Amino acid sequence: MSSPIRRVLSSTVGTKLLIGLTGLALFVYLIIHLAGNALIFAGQDAFNVYAHALISNPLIIPLEIGLLLLFLVHIYKAITNYVKNLAARPEAYDKKAYAGHTSRKSVASSTMIVTGIIVAVFLIIHVKQFKFGSYYQTVADAGVRDLYRTEIEVFSNPFWVAFYVMATLLVGLHLRHGIASGFQSIGFDHPMYTRRLTMWSLVLAVIISGGLAAIPVWVYFTH
Amino acid sequence: MRIFLKVWRQASPDAQGRFVDYTAEDVSPDMSFLEMLDVVNERLIMQGEDPIAFDSDCREGICGTCGFMVSGIAHGPDPGTTVCQLHMRRFKDGMRLTLEPWRARAFQVLKDLVVDRSAFDRIIQAGGYTSVNVGGAPDGNAVLVGKTASDKAMDSAACIGCGACVAACKNASAALFTSAKISQMALLPQGQVERFQRVVKMVDRHDEEGFGSCSNEGECEAVCPKEIPITNIARMNREYFRALLFSRD
Ligand code: HEM
Ligand code: FES
Repeated sequence: MSSPIRRVLSSTVGTKLLIGLTGLALFVYLIIHLAGNALIFAGQDAFNVYAHALISNPLIIPLEIGLLLLFLVHIYKAITNYVKNLAARPEAYDKKAYAGHTSRKSVASSTMIVTGIIVAVFLIIHVKQFKFGSYYQTVADAGVRDLYRTEIEVFSNPFWVAFYVMATLLVGLHLRHGIASGFQSIGFDHPMYTRRLTMWSLVLAVIISGGLAAIPVWVYFTH
Repeated sequence: MRIFLKVWRQASPDAQGRFVDYTAEDVSPDMSFLEMLDVVNERLIMQGEDPIAFDSDCREGICGTCGFMVSGIAHGPDPGTTVCQLHMRRFKDGMRLTLEPWRARAFQVLKDLVVDRSAFDRIIQAGGYTSVNVGGAPDGNAVLVGKTASDKAMDSAACIGCGACVAACKNASAALFTSAKISQMALLPQGQVERFQRVVKMVDRHDEEGFGSCSNEGECEAVCPKEIPITNIARMNREYFRALLFSRD
């Protein structure tokens, strides 16, 4: 059959496989990102040592490129998919209601494209503020960056605290539909676990977005 | 009972459509929704007007011919029910209902509430069958099929192809229909031979017809008169992924 990989991956199902796989990979990345950054609660030294170990690892560049690729594929596929889906119903209903019953439609599932795009904009600002933000040396060790100080600096401003809290809550909303949806897209189907997926999706979304939002709030009120 | 209707009227595929208000008088709660429309139409015919066109055949919820939107929900508010099996006792006297045809690029409106669903036939033609010659019918007990697989295949085969899944989906996706038709084959021994070609060809056809992709909201499952579960869609995606990795054709 004439099915070069590219044509297959641009079908509706192939597209959703890609959005699902990249979305779930980003979700796993987010867990690791949260776990590492939670070290801020352990104090300046622990946090800086972790950050230094991370950026001085030779694998960091290929991993960063991989992460960037995940984002680019996810965003590109999600946006083209959205546009194609709009074209599948050129004439809107005069009246359309929530079907109720077993439907999983929610605010989260209806706003994926909006939350996604806002998160993308947030990420550009976020990387600029931290990775490429103000650079300080630690007092103890000249080669080690004092990222802790950069973070305290950013989050001493209530505007940035509010901005980060809002952005992380939107990530949570994206994940509230995204986690369960991603598993369904990649074909996960189990007589027991599938039913609990929507509930777990909510629990994990609350943990991740709550954990991420706690960081700027904690910094603001303790420094 | 008296019911106020706002019905989509469109003379032909190319004609400009519009909503027209009608009042259904003397509606009995025991009438089915389509019987209520029959009464409205009888009056329209007496007045020399064009009756409201809608599809129906069996009127007992098994053929999949009927179907339109009742106030924004495919086949109306009752779960697991076709509009021919929806009864007027479900509604209250004086209610206002909006009736619209299924709307999707792939389903052209032919007249009023009737749409062209031949896109579904073409998806089936693309691979929803077995073409290998398997000889005479084997003895019933010679081909063993597990109880779970046979139950699931039967549940998928319950799809009557009415198009409600497409109508309910915000992306006008036919993923539920296509996946049910793929599942009923993928779960049974007869479907194994052409397993990989089938899923790729049927998905290709689905896309060519102009249906959208699945966002996993499950509105389709909620309106499906046969309550086909969206686990079928997970199976279709799995089959597709496998075809991508292992197909040698
Ligand atoms: C923190 C970063 C992100 C994570 C963890 C994430 C995660 C996910 C997951 C798990 C899904 C479910 C996949 C599926 O339905 O198969 C998803 C879907 C989606 N994502 Fe993201 N995403 C992120 C960023 C973005 C960005 C930046 C966009 C920008 C456009 C975006 C747009 C979408 C859209 C539109 C969908 C829904 C696709 C559909 O309706 O079928 N996401 N995301
Ligand atoms: S007319 Fe046959 S299912 Fe409604």
